Amino acid sequence: MLEIKNLHVRVEDEDTEILRGIDLAVPKGEVHAIMGPNGSGKSTLSYVIAGKDGYEVTDGSITWDGEDLLALSPDERAARGVFLAFQYPVEIPGVATLTFLRTAVNAVRKARGEKELNTADFMRLVREKAEALGVKQDMLKRGLNVGFSGGEKKRNEILQMALLEPTLCVLDETDSGLDIDALRIVSEGVNTLRGPERAMLVITHYQRLLNYIVPDRVHVLQEGRIVRSGGKELAEELERTGYAEFGEGKAA
Amino acid sequence: MTVQIVKTPAEEALESAFAAMRDGLSGAAGDFAPALRDAAMATFRELGLPGRRVEEWKYTDLRGLLRDVPEPIRASGDTLSETDLYDVLGIDLDEFLAYRIVIADGAFAPELSHFEGTDALFQVLPLSEALANPPDWFREGFGKVNPPERDASLALNTAFMTDGVVIRIADGAKLDRPLHLVFITGSTRRGMVTNRNFISVGEGAAATILETYGARRTPDMLRNAVTEITLGHGAEVEHLKYQNEGRMGLHLSSWMAAIGPGARYRAFQFSIGAGLARNQIFTRFTGEGGEADVSGAFMVWDEQHADTTVVIDHAVPHCKSRALFKGVIDDKARGVVQGKIAVHPGAQKTDANLMAHGLMLSERAEFDAKPELEIYADDVVCGHGATTGELDEDMLFYLRARGLDVNQAQALLTVAFVGEALEKVECAPVREAFVARAAAWLGSDKS
Ligand SMILES: Nc1ncnc2c1ncn2[C@@H]1O[C@H](COP(=O)(O)OP(=O)(O)OP(=O)(O)O)[C@@H](O)[C@H]1O
Ligand SMILES: [Mg+2]
Repeated sequence: MLEIKNLHVRVEDEDTEILRGIDLAVPKGEVHAIMGPNGSGKSTLSYVIAGKDGYEVTDGSITWDGEDLLALSPDERAARGVFLAFQYPVEIPGVATLTFLRTAVNAVRKARGEKELNTADFMRLVREKAEALGVKQDMLKRGLNVGFSGGEKKRNEILQMALLEPTLCVLDETDSGLDIDALRIVSEGVNTLRGPERAMLVITHYQRLLNYIVPDRVHVLQEGRIVRSGGKELAEELERTGYAEFGEGKAA
Repeated sequence: MTVQIVKTPAEEALESAFAAMRDGLSGAAGDFAPALRDAAMATFRELGLPGRRVEEWKYTDLRGLLRDVPEPIRASGDTLSETDLYDVLGIDLDEFLAYRIVIADGAFAPELSHFEGTDALFQVLPLSEALANPPDWFREGFGKVNPPERDASLALNTAFMTDGVVIRIADGAKLDRPLHLVFITGSTRRGMVTNRNFISVGEGAAATILETYGARRTPDMLRNAVTEITLGHGAEVEHLKYQNEGRMGLHLSSWMAAIGPGARYRAFQFSIGAGLARNQIFTRFTGEGGEADVSGAFMVWDEQHADTTVVIDHAVPHCKSRALFKGVIDDKARGVVQGKIAVHPGAQKTDANLMAHGLMLSERAEFDAKPELEIYADDVVCGHGATTGELDEDMLFYLRARGLDVNQAQALLTVAFVGEALEKVECAPVREAFVARAAAWLGSDKS
């Protein structure tokens, strides 16, 4: 289970708190959605779970499987099964996508005490997963995310997720930039990973994604707090009403 | 007016070494070398070791850094084996099919050299022989291939040169294998080694020439190596260098190139060794329609100092030059890139560009870049630039979020950084060896 308790976060060297007391629990086997207006702190929450520098946790805790995530480096978290699909995947010129994928897969396998994959096995695995997600082979030869379209970058994120087989998946606006077909393909990719051993946190602005990836719970994040939680029908309600009516203090 | 400066102990040692050795140096009995050496020594006496006051050496204070001069070495008498070559160079020579010419310490080593059956393609002479009995073409060209004015390190080379490789590639010869010139020191004693090469590439000829420099045991050799190369009409040459000298050593190097009409010259130097390395490259177009790419990469750490100083002379119209230098600098090391593009009066339609980029892996690292344009023609396209940066935090986080530990992530990004320069090397086995070396550098194995 992912357990976040009373999490307070601010950006280093700045006074304003971005996350102001988040409580959230995502049991294994469940998918929770987080919705909320721009700037409410969704990406910040995802970065703090994944371990990005530059954020200071002033109070509270994050545990995964009972282990304190905040004490671990980003790569240690990845080895424990944490995966963040980035809202804005980084372009890295000069690092071939395929080289990167292989290095990542083997780093994680090694850290988990599994055998590293040889070239042939790795290539077989990549081909299979890439095909399922509609990632073209020539993309894999290019620099990591370099010159990829917005949608291609998002597919590449899900390809990495499929290859690394994480147990805690955080998807930050994976649907933005995807066309209708890609949205379906990517959602299928995510759904195949759903299972009793996995927890997922899906950040999105649109209810449409949640038609494909049906969440067990929906939470509304506003100004650094979860102001309301409910079932999947909450997403539909938000679509109609917007965020205006969820002010401070109206948390359910 | 010349300011009289007190001679340093190193300058005095060089002058007295020359006086003691002069009559025993290669070609001393002939009518060619002694005059050259004497003139060079006179120039050196006048110039002294270059220090901060000399503009071209302002980042590399050789006068201050060179404390003493070890005894010059010719043939050390220590025998080197094929295994030594491999250990020093890190290039698998069994896999790398090349015509190999080895200069061990200061002397040609025929037992380690292999270039049989190539007479129709090229002629090889040890420099010591060419100095003793100079063929006409050598006598006419030697020392005159685009030499820099008043350069103390070149003067020292001419004064002390013992051996090296003289090659004449025949007109129209297309070499089926690279020429691999190996400069290795095997001596257990500290010493000064002075190599000089002279390469003449005939009209329409094509060749890849790789120079590799390394030391087997003694880490603190003082090496001065110069290569002069001329490219005839339409010749194509890829001229490569790998420098992995002992980390306490001094490596002074100058390449002087004259590029004939329609010729294509690609120079690349990859430098990771020596405590102090100064790589000078002087290229000049001597005929229209020439193309040059003069590039390189260096990786330094600890207290290493690597200086690349390049001058590209567009002396004639309609020539194109590109230059890209990338340096990775860790710990307290220092990197220097000085690059000048000089467009002479009348050199219209010149197309030239020079870039230098430094990547700092530590807060105490230093990178000094001085790109310069000197343009005396109006119808030209010239550009230059320099950047200094650190590894990108967002890229590092992205890689670490995918499970790469901090060392792996840094290594991948660093190799990507120098890779852009290493990609310039067209000879595939050499390029792959360079990339592999760069990847290993960031791991445990930097030496
Ligand atoms: N490094 C930073 N420095 C300064 N402010 C920051 C930093 N990171 C985030 N913030 C601020 O924190 C707030 C929350 O940002 P965050 O990116 O988490 O929002 P979000 O909910 O993901 O928004 P969106 O829906 O637009 O993606 C914003 O006001 C943002 O400007
Ligand atoms: Mg966001």
